[in-house]
Order: sequence, then C-alpha cells, then structure tokens
Amino acid sequence: MRRLSIHESYAGKHVLLTGASGFLGKVWLTMALEGLPEIAKIYVLLRKKALRPARDRFERIVATSPAFKPLHERYGRDLARFINERIEVVDGDISSPGLGLDPEVAARLHRDVDLVINCAGLVDFDPDLRDALTTNVDGTLHVASFMERCQKAALLHISTCYVAGTRNGVIDETLIADYAPNGEPFDAAAELAAARARIDEIIAEHDGPAKEAEIHLDALKHIRERRLDPDNPTLVRNISRRIKRQSIKDAMIEEGQSRAQRWGWTNIYTYSKSLAESVLVPYQGKFRFSLLRPAIVESSLAYPFPGWNQGFNTSGPLSYMLAGWLRELPMRKDNPFDIIPVDYVCTGMTIAGAALLQGCHETVYQCGTSDKNRLSIDRACDLTALAHRKHLRRKGDTVVDRVILARWDGVRADDIDHTLSVPNLRRFTQGVARTMRELPRRWPKAIRRRAEKVAERADKIDESLDTIEHLIDLYLPFIHDNTFVFRTDNLLSYDIVEPEHRWDPKDLDWRHYWINVHIPGLRKWCYPLFEGKTPESYKPRYKFSLSEGAETKSAPASDAEAQGEVG
Amino acid sequence: MTTAKRAAFFRAEGVLLSRGVLAATAYYAANAQKFSERALRLGVVALSAPLQGLLGQNDRTLANRLAFLAARGMSEDRLAELGEEYAEDMLKDKILDQGVELIKRARAEGHRIVVLSDNIAQIMEPLLQHLPKIDDLVCNHLEITDGEATGKLLDPVIGSHGDGKWVQGYAERHGLDLRACAAYGAHGTDLLLLAGVGRPCAVNPDFTLRRSAREAEWPVIDYQE
Repeated sequence: MRRLSIHESYAGKHVLLTGASGFLGKVWLTMALEGLPEIAKIYVLLRKKALRPARDRFERIVATSPAFKPLHERYGRDLARFINERIEVVDGDISSPGLGLDPEVAARLHRDVDLVINCAGLVDFDPDLRDALTTNVDGTLHVASFMERCQKAALLHISTCYVAGTRNGVIDETLIADYAPNGEPFDAAAELAAARARIDEIIAEHDGPAKEAEIHLDALKHIRERRLDPDNPTLVRNISRRIKRQSIKDAMIEEGQSRAQRWGWTNIYTYSKSLAESVLVPYQGKFRFSLLRPAIVESSLAYPFPGWNQGFNTSGPLSYMLAGWLRELPMRKDNPFDIIPVDYVCTGMTIAGAALLQGCHETVYQCGTSDKNRLSIDRACDLTALAHRKHLRRKGDTVVDRVILARWDGVRADDIDHTLSVPNLRRFTQGVARTMRELPRRWPKAIRRRAEKVAERADKIDESLDTIEHLIDLYLPFIHDNTFVFRTDNLLSYDIVEPEHRWDPKDLDWRHYWINVHIPGLRKWCYPLFEGKTPESYKPRYKFSLSEGAETKSAPASDAEAQGEVG
Repeated sequence: MTTAKRAAFFRAEGVLLSRGVLAATAYYAANAQKFSERALRLGVVALSAPLQGLLGQNDRTLANRLAFLAARGMSEDRLAELGEEYAEDMLKDKILDQGVELIKRARAEGHRIVVLSDNIAQIMEPLLQHLPKIDDLVCNHLEITDGEATGKLLDPVIGSHGDGKWVQGYAERHGLDLRACAAYGAHGTDLLLLAGVGRPCAVNPDFTLRRSAREAEWPVIDYQE
C-alpha cells in the first residue's frame, strides 16, 4: 500500500476543471471547495451559452443547483467571497481547438495549472454521432493539446468502465491501444477518420436534390395533415428545415449505433468514450495522465446530501418503469449491476488526482462496486420494488396506488421474450386498437364512439410501451446481455492518510442506499423529468451573486440580518 | 448493561403480544415478490396452521419450522423490509399494555429483562423500540445463504421445550441466580422455562399451562380487556 496524503498532495496546487455543469463535475467541485481548502485555485472551464457568459452561467449554477447546498448552508452570504477567492471561471469550450480560451488566459493556465480534471462529456447513450465525437473525442484531443503546452500539469480524464463494450468477465484496469471489444484489428485513428467521412457523406446526401425533394414532399404532407396552408413558402421552408434536421440527426444516430455495434460497443456513448481513450494513448510519455472509469454513476450516498441526483441516468428510467404497472423486466440472474454513488466517484477522482500530483499514479482507475461489493441486477429489482412499496404504501396518490400498486412488485424475467414482455403487450394494445376501429358499421354509433375512445386510449398506452421498449433495448446490454466485473484494485492500492478521503465500496450497505437514499432521490430529482415536470429547484437562504463577493466583503453567515434573503 | 444478578424472562407471544408467528409468516407469504409465490407460500402457512393448533400447547418447534418454510427463497432484503413493516404496522398495535407493565415492574425490581420470541429477528428487532428497554432479545433466526432465506430456522429454535435448557445456559453465562429470577409464560411450551426459575408466572395461560400452574401453585395472571 502506498501512503498518500490528499491534503499534502493538493496543497498550493492549481486545478482546472472541465464539465463543472455536469452531475459529476458539480459534486466534485463542491466537495473540493469544502474538503480541500489547500487547493490554491480551481479554474472552472465553462462555455458560454447564447448570450450568457461563462461567469453568469456559473453564478446561476451555484445559485440554483442543490449540489451547492452544503456550501450555501456553511457560508451563507459569505459564499460569493469564498468562491471568488477559490475559483476563477474561465470562458472556454473543450470542443474548440485550444479549449476556446483567450490566448492570455491560456498562457496563464499553461504556466500555472498542476492538474486538469476533464469531466466534460456527452453521457447520452445514443446521441447524434457528430455531438458524441465533437464532445467526447475532439474534446479529449483538445484537452491533450492543451496539456502538451502546460509546463507541469497532469491530466485526470474521466471515462467509463463500459468502454469495455460487449465483453463478459473480469475487466482489468488497463489502457489498450486501439482497443475494440470484439477483438478484431482496430485502428482508432482510421475509425475516427471513417466516422467523420461518413458524417460528411450523410450531410452531403441530405443536401442532394433527391433528398431535398423527398423532404419537401414530407413537409407538404405534414402541412396538409395539420390542415395548414401548403402555399405558404415560409411555412414550407421552416418545416422542411425541421424535417431535414431531424432526418440528419436520425441518420447520425443510426450510423453511430451501427459503428458501435460493428466493433462491439453497447452504444454510441461507450464507443465515443473508448475512442477518446484510444486517442490519448499516443500522449503517453508526453504528459502524466490517468483515466478514471466510473461504472454507473448514481445518487449520492452522503454528499452533498443523501440522494442527490441530476438528470436522466441509468437506473432512473429502469426504476421508474418498475414504479408503474410494468411487472417483468428481462434481466440475467446474478448479473452485476455496477452502480456507484456520485460521491464515491468524486472521492475516487480526488485520490486519482492526488496520485497524479505526487507522481505515484496508475494509468487506469476503475471506480465501481461489482468487484468488491457486488449488487446483482435481480437484487436491485427486488430492492426497487421494496422502495416503491415503502413509498406508495404511505404516500401513494390514490387508494389503488396504496393498496394494489404498492404490492405490484417488479420481477425479473429470464427471457427477453416472455408472456408479459413489452413487445407482446404492444401487440395486445395494437390489437385492441385495431379491433375497436374495425367494428362493423351497422353497429350503433354510440358503441362505435365508445370503441374509438378505447382505441385512442390503447394508442396512448402503445406510445408509452414504445418508449419503454426503446429504453429496455438501451439497457439490455447492462442488465441482461453481458456480465461485467470491473476490477477496482488501483484506487484501493493507496493508504490514504485522511480517513474522510478514503474510498472503499465495501462500506456501501445496498439495502439502506437503495431504499432510503437512491430511489427516494430519484423520485425527487429524476422522476419529474420523465413526467415532463421540473424537479424542485434549490433556493438558498441568501441570494447568491458572484459580483457581490468580488466587490465587497459580506457579513459572515451567522449574521442574522436578512438582507438579500430570497427564501 | 445492567449488573443485576437476576433476570425476568418474558415470552413475547401471549405475554407481551397478542399475535403469534402464524400471522407474521402469512404476512411474508402474502407479500412475496411474485404473485405465484404468494399463493404457494400462503399454502405452506395454511398447512402449518393446524400444526400450530395441535402442538401449540406443547412444543412448537415443528410448527414454527413449517411456518417459516413460507419464507424459503425470499431475499434477506425483503425479509428485513417486510419485517420492519410488519412490526410497525401490524405488531406494534398488538403490544399488550399489561405486559409492558410487567416489564416495567420487573425492571423496577432490578431484574435484567430478557424477551423470548418465536418470531424472527427481522420482526422482533424493529419492534423493540416500542417496548420498554430490553436487555436481551432471544428470537428465531432464519438461515440465510447467498442473500436468500433457505426456510430453515437456525437452532436452537425458540418456542420449544429447549427454551428451559437455554435459560439455564443463559444464567450460567451471565452469572444469574435462577432461584431469584422470574419468568412469564403463556403456553404449555413454557413449562420448562417457568419451572427453571424461582418466580414463575403464567400469563393468560392456555389449557396445558393453566393446569400445570394450578398443580405447581404458580401465580396466574389473566389480563383484563
């Protein structure tokens, strides 16, 4: 075991963080601000959005994100001053060459930065191939170029365990050059060039007269269906543009999926993250870097507070499906479901960063639970049912929820094709809709009207089932098709001096985490998104403004004067 | 931990609680994960019910073993969660006030309080917070393998004549003078437990225990509604 002091490692260091607006980046940032006071400066690289400069974006993030709750509670009105002292928001974009930095700022960063933590990334499973490559691959290349110009900086690049692709068994903590999961000869640079060429081809195809004509016809059809004016050229042009944009996006997703599957990756996300790892290989020896591969990052266990989660994630949609009437999900018995709370991942990042700063780093750190404290997918399913039961019995909206749905436990189905599988349910609902619409004309109008309503209801259910079917397809590699166990020896190879920075997945009590922390967290922060609602926003006690902290020194948090109080 | 050299042993079922183990096993059975399992498990409980009736006044080992077979294959998580739920929603209201008073009185007399229950730890442990302070809970434990109950109760099965022998061992381990100890039982099964202490007391006794208590001239308490 190598002794490693986190506080000593970070003392007086300058850290550049990308992806601070994401789930992981935010939690690491707040954790570092609170737990690593030795860091001399944290540079937060944020891109401006529309007319909102990076600094304003960051101010809004701090003012509204629940991730900053512990800092608001600790520093109150003094938070702006505290943040201004510790953080410098830098206007930039990793998808741009030179990280889109102002040359003067870039020069300063090249000189001062000791550690770059690259959390920026597109985490959607199947995004537009262009976006995936721009953010995940080009972004990494730009960060690598930036690193080459740095005088002393080391890079901690956040990847994912699932770059392993559709492989089974124990996955080691190694970086393999030109890796493809199916084992075929693979050249990452060639693949990247081919993917880019194909992207250009798709765009060219859509710009061609044949496709333009097809899109025009589609637009006219769409306008007629909506009973709008097909002779309105502006309307036709706008709708054509929208159809074209969607058609290009669909083609890009299809292309990305097919490329990912061709080489054995589960989706576009893991394909692009693996390519990003591969493009880093040639930089070995040019600057120090480590890859941190988290497994499925989920709700925090304790920090910033139990249950914090953000956005769509992996277990969110699955558990949401099981909260309803869907009973059977295909999953393989005893398959590991490698969930890791976000605060565990952030602790892992802190350790890996400290090791880089001390020069005792490993190339790859995997950060998951399947190796040391395995949660099986069927156990997760049982725990999900128990968590929903606990909630619904007490807080179900209706009697049906409290009495029946609470006991309607989701169960594992061994086979993808089982009696109550979603495709079978869809066949049933589609059959109902068809039958209701094909009632003989001689039947009374009242009955046919009622039948039409039933058919419409069946259509709606079918739409929901379509979404569920799509989600199940996305998750099948993780819950049914493959069995991954990710080794996590490297993070455990350090004897961390400070107990609060130790990382040990064996500490995790799955029952408590799942029932009392994770599912309630998802219910609060993620499920509203699935229902088209906005999750509860955080309102700090004192209005937060970065400019206030920069200009005047505010009163301490304990000051009871309620100036600027917003909630 | 109290340093008292005497203890009061309370049989939970009948003395502190007005509900036995069958209801608990039925609750587990009715709330299994799959619908088909629920029916099967309820069937097992139904089979064990007459056995409980037949053997309830003597030795309930077999009946308890059979009843808890209903939990076979159930996950440890489900056992714990349902146990907590059952204790909170079902059993808490079945705590007998007079039983609680007996505990308080024994505590005031300087007794170490020991509760023996036929129920399993997953149910009894969450229930403890609703009872006066208990020094030791002795209850049944289901064997768990790979996170699932095998359906087997680990030895010694509480609710048998072996409880009397267990009390002797317990007294030796804790340096108790059994002649100064009290025990409160409600069923024929508790005969050896009561006979082993200096101050036995039959509470709401069943036919077997009432007859024996009368013969041995043990005090009998019948709770008033």
